[in-house]
Amino acid sequence: MKHLPKTPRTPTVNRRDFVKGGSLATMMSLMGGVELVAQETKKDAAADKAAGPQVKVGVIGLGARGREVLGTLALQKDAAVAAICDTYAAALRRASEAAPKATKHADYKEILANKEIQAVIIATPTHQHREIVIEALKAGKHVYCEAPLANTLEDAKAIALAAKAAVKQVFQAGLQLRSDPQRHFLLQFIRSGAMGKNLMARTQWNKKLSWRFTSPNPEREREINWRLRKETSLGLVGELGLHQIDAALWFLNSKPSAVNGYGAVMHWEDGREVADTMQAMFEFPSGLTLTHASTLANSFDSDHEVYFGTDSAIMVRGNKAWMFKEADAPLLGWEVYARKDEFYKETGIALVANATKLVAQGDKPVEDAPFSNTPLSYALEAFVANVNEIGAAVEDFNATFNPNDTKALVKYLSEIKRQPAAGFKEGYEATVIAIKASEAVQKQQRVLIPKELFALA
Amino acid sequence: MKTARSPRSFAALTLAFVFAGIGGVRAQAWIKYEAQPGSKVRINGTSTIHDWSVESQMIGGAMELETSTAADLKSMKVKPKVEVAIPVRSLKSGKKPMDTVMYNAMKQTDHPKIEYHLTQLTPAGTGTAADSYVYTAVGALTVSGVTRTNSMTVNISRIDKTQLKVTGTTNLKMTDFGIKPPAPDLALGLIKTGDDIKITFEWITAQTETATKTP
Repeated sequence: MKHLPKTPRTPTVNRRDFVKGGSLATMMSLMGGVELVAQETKKDAAADKAAGPQVKVGVIGLGARGREVLGTLALQKDAAVAAICDTYAAALRRASEAAPKATKHADYKEILANKEIQAVIIATPTHQHREIVIEALKAGKHVYCEAPLANTLEDAKAIALAAKAAVKQVFQAGLQLRSDPQRHFLLQFIRSGAMGKNLMARTQWNKKLSWRFTSPNPEREREINWRLRKETSLGLVGELGLHQIDAALWFLNSKPSAVNGYGAVMHWEDGREVADTMQAMFEFPSGLTLTHASTLANSFDSDHEVYFGTDSAIMVRGNKAWMFKEADAPLLGWEVYARKDEFYKETGIALVANATKLVAQGDKPVEDAPFSNTPLSYALEAFVANVNEIGAAVEDFNATFNPNDTKALVKYLSEIKRQPAAGFKEGYEATVIAIKASEAVQKQQRVLIPKELFALA
Repeated sequence: MKTARSPRSFAALTLAFVFAGIGGVRAQAWIKYEAQPGSKVRINGTSTIHDWSVESQMIGGAMELETSTAADLKSMKVKPKVEVAIPVRSLKSGKKPMDTVMYNAMKQTDHPKIEYHLTQLTPAGTGTAADSYVYTAVGALTVSGVTRTNSMTVNISRIDKTQLKVTGTTNLKMTDFGIKPPAPDLALGLIKTGDDIKITFEWITAQTETATKTP
């Protein structure tokens, strides 16, 4: 059960955090943000959707995350939830409302034994992934495993190697931002050098919430609060932060060589073992740094990422992003015509001074944002499409050529165009980084991330 | 193509030769060349906005040559047995919506394969490359469940001792196979594909078993 960094997809929410200024005085201090929005490709209603046959999916783990997965799958034409599984009867009952046609199981092995089911989505607590992923791959299922893949290096490696070996199956790590079209648009933009030289980046995830679930049954309460214990959880940085950190590493095209961590239980003193407030700073070989800050005790500024370059800074908030150009940056051309949003990072005083005006300005109609689906929905859509594509390709290959010619099959599959998604490699690398960052936060010290850790052999 | 390799059809073939032998026909030995990965087929077409093409690497099936013909490709005295199949869904344009339009037009779910069965192969000279020969091939081509006789020029060449390459090009009309040239529901219906298409292929086959002797 993992929450992805959750910026509501309506930009109006930002009103609370970011304040639009209007007076001449504030105008002077404003920076013009050039909005970076990917052009939404025309959805060809007839052609694009329901391209393949329906993929029969099993969902294993029905906590909050599992239910989110079910809700998302229910909206997808190409996927049919055929089975659901949770060891806890009440969770199973509750989830079955979202998937009334699915068979219910307390043991995931029953789902794996069902030949009809082509793919499974694993949304159990992190420390339970390993066994289920490996059994599922062995049973020939395509696997979507939530991120982080595991909470230990050993488990993460075992999962990644099993996925690597399963050449005929799709393995997708639940780093859903990797499937988000808006992120792909930004990726090209950032990699194109429009920011100048990359200097530093920071990511943030703030929300005031306890992260604790309650249950009348003490044993159950312990189980559902696995995220609050050291032995089972990678804490804020690993369970939530890794999505944003992974996106940043992807954009910056680099992996950190060390991480410095700081963290403590500052507010939720309920016996939890993981920090409710933390910061981690990642060092890169080029001198670049990335900081991730997160707290469960204050919700200011929600979740976002900022990239700083010599020519401009780019701020990403959910499915929206803006560029802030430096005065001496070269003219790109298009930005002259782009829509400008004005931001003002308020201080206490300014907020009081402009309160009335600001509320009024917030009522301005906001244009519809493109790509308004959640990243999870894009990720699951990609997974289902890839399962169809790869499944068909393997079937055709086996019928056309010698099915034992694995080398030729692997080559053939490598040329199949897939929907963008995080594979085992991306999943493994992000998990390694999450584990090391979590270690740094726990120890409150600098932890090295040697290159060799990323090797998968 | 699975059937070409299945023991049952192989047994049937062997049986046929046994009878042929009894009937006093000269005993024949056949060498089977099975389809190999590395093949390529490309379909080129036109539309009101731009030309298009789709490709696949999946050309399945097998070619069986009588041993003397296998040794001397030039004469090709005994007609080889050739069965070819291409899975329709392996044809890709690189644009998924367009692929879907194509699969629908070809009724892919009902007719998942394009099939070809050789009925006649007549030598028609020497190819440009070494040990490469030109033939006129006549066969039954089945697309979207409709079978038509097709005649085309093919080139068979030796890649090495065990591998043969067959290349060829043929022009077809979609409407001959009951396929309505797609005019997808895109761009206000301004896109309409042309009826004429051109198929170009390069089929790699390899000897996977030694010659089967018949009495």
